[in-house]
Amino acid sequence: MRVNAVWQNIRQSLGFKRLFWHIFLTFWVASLAVMAATGYVLVNEYASNENNQRFLNLVTSQAERIVWRYEHETLVSGTAKRKIKDWIQQRENRRGELLPMLILDANGKTVFHYRMNKVPPEQRSEQQVYGPSNAQYSVFVHRPQAPHILKQVLYRFQSLQFVFIFIASALVSALLSWTIVKPIKYLGAFSRKYANEQTISSLPSPMLNRGDELGDLATDINFMVSKTHEAASAQQRLLHDVSHELRAPLARLQASAAIIEQKQPDNRHVKQIHNDCHRIDQLIQQILNFSTLENTMPEPKQCELLALCERILDDMAVNYPGIPTTLTPPKGGAQQSLIMCFPEAVHQALDNIIGNACKYSNKGESVDVTIEPLHDNVVIRVRDHGPGVNKDEIEKLLQPFYRAGNQMHTQGFGLGLSIALKAIHKHGGQLHMTSPSDGGLSVEVTLPKNVAPRD
Amino acid sequence: MENEKYNILLVDDDVDLCALLGEFLEGDGFTVDTLHSGDKAVDTLLNTNKYDTVVLDIMMPGMSGLDVLRTVRAKKQTPILMLTGRGDDIDRIVGLEIGADDYLPKPCNPRELGARIRAIIRRTQQLKSAAVVHTELHGIVLDTGARTATVNKEVLTLTGAEFNALSLLMERAGQTITKQDMTQEVLNRPLEAYDRAMDVHVSRIRQKLSAVGVIDVIKSVRGVGYQMLTTPQPQEQ
Repeated sequence: MRVNAVWQNIRQSLGFKRLFWHIFLTFWVASLAVMAATGYVLVNEYASNENNQRFLNLVTSQAERIVWRYEHETLVSGTAKRKIKDWIQQRENRRGELLPMLILDANGKTVFHYRMNKVPPEQRSEQQVYGPSNAQYSVFVHRPQAPHILKQVLYRFQSLQFVFIFIASALVSALLSWTIVKPIKYLGAFSRKYANEQTISSLPSPMLNRGDELGDLATDINFMVSKTHEAASAQQRLLHDVSHELRAPLARLQASAAIIEQKQPDNRHVKQIHNDCHRIDQLIQQILNFSTLENTMPEPKQCELLALCERILDDMAVNYPGIPTTLTPPKGGAQQSLIMCFPEAVHQALDNIIGNACKYSNKGESVDVTIEPLHDNVVIRVRDHGPGVNKDEIEKLLQPFYRAGNQMHTQGFGLGLSIALKAIHKHGGQLHMTSPSDGGLSVEVTLPKNVAPRD
Repeated sequence: MENEKYNILLVDDDVDLCALLGEFLEGDGFTVDTLHSGDKAVDTLLNTNKYDTVVLDIMMPGMSGLDVLRTVRAKKQTPILMLTGRGDDIDRIVGLEIGADDYLPKPCNPRELGARIRAIIRRTQQLKSAAVVHTELHGIVLDTGARTATVNKEVLTLTGAEFNALSLLMERAGQTITKQDMTQEVLNRPLEAYDRAMDVHVSRIRQKLSAVGVIDVIKSVRGVGYQMLTTPQPQEQ
């Protein structure tokens, strides 16, 4: 189990799909191929000459030995042929090499014949040797064949030299690969860091002044980061300014409406103006909340979920007096609901979810909130007994400006759950919605006890 | 009360809005002056006691509403109502902690503003006319005539709302007072959703009491409100 995990770790950290390995293997294989090709050409040149020579030498020495023995035997007993056969037998038994060969004496009489029947005349080559008696013999052998080239090359590579080359080329390839990949990895880490922390910092000058393509890339990334940062802060400023600027005329509009109302207390249009002003104000606030969640990364703080939910339910009791609420605290008390998080974001998320539950409930239908620790997480379940949502609509609820069943007449803008989802994702948490069989909607929020910001 | 003209000072950098709110509040029976910068507001407020209530916008270029509040509170107890951005919980709480009497998110319905101003004024008036009562509990001596609270002859500096809250809690010691009731009686207005005014006031009172050695006398009753204990007991929290 442990070994397996370690191996998984290694595989993951090495990552065989990585550019490092691509470059390394490409260079290594390429350098080995170049060396093999060079070897091939050299061996080819040498081998044909050298090999022929070696072959002919072998032939001559074997033929001379046979001829010497032949003359010696005939002189002694005149029954040489048989002895030579024995000799062949002997050599074969000892696994000695014996070249196929046909030896004729000057009269054309066969002195020695070994496996030459299948060799056609045009593939034979002839040589002359002389016996101790100075008699001339003709020796026929198979024409020298160049040995299989691969065998030759491999034969040569079986040396220490080659092992050296093998290791050296691996080292050089790895080094080359590393020098290319390292700055790329560094740049990646740099931009990831920026994306996570949103704090601007410059790349070190050795990186920027490399002068090669990677240096250019570093300069470009630096430029891009500063531009992105400018754009993000400009967007923040713009949103802030726009919301402020929108609110100023809205406040004036409300004041004007109030003055008209003072003079004509029963004007129903004024009431409409007041209602719409209130709506626009809420919309501005929600859009601001949405963009703030997107663009800021505050410090995590300790937060007691139980107390937070209690406060939210108190607020709900004021806003929706007809909806009874229950809160089930975790076993083991408040300590169990203590988490490190971005409290404002969690507050917004839970407020929107619980608020939705209350909004869509009818008078007397209760909204139940349960807090439950689960491993490294805390699960908050918000259950209402209202009309519920169709299964195929559940996913769409999380889209901005979507409202179930197109209930355009009810209050709100359909931003609440998108804000909640964004806030929960910011913590690395999850949001699930289910329609329980006995009606209503159940929203389950899982938050890690220690916030882990998304990458 | 209707015949009496109360003086209101509106401080907001939006000139048009000031004019409109001024017109509305005058229609409601107040006498209204307007100022458009924090510095001028500080000058005016430090030199006169003319105003019954000041309406102060938090977001102003230059000297912000919070700066004005801090500077004025150091010398004067003129009732101040803060106009805060909606959703800026922190600004609200900071404003109350520095000593604002109440807050109202902006943009708001001017009728609501008028109601809040009247609530503040009514509260101040009640206190001026209330029968002089001396109450004592846990060594805290309240003098509703002089509006002073002392612990072991040491005077506590309390804002109007804090004094009201403390005297309400002491008056009904041993009973739990709901947040709704407290908001109604101390701030003269109904409790709203996301309304932290009472919590901030009570927490300020606790801090000030513990600074002079009186601890664990105000109990929070979760989901309900607060209670002044007749005998001190440590909080579970």
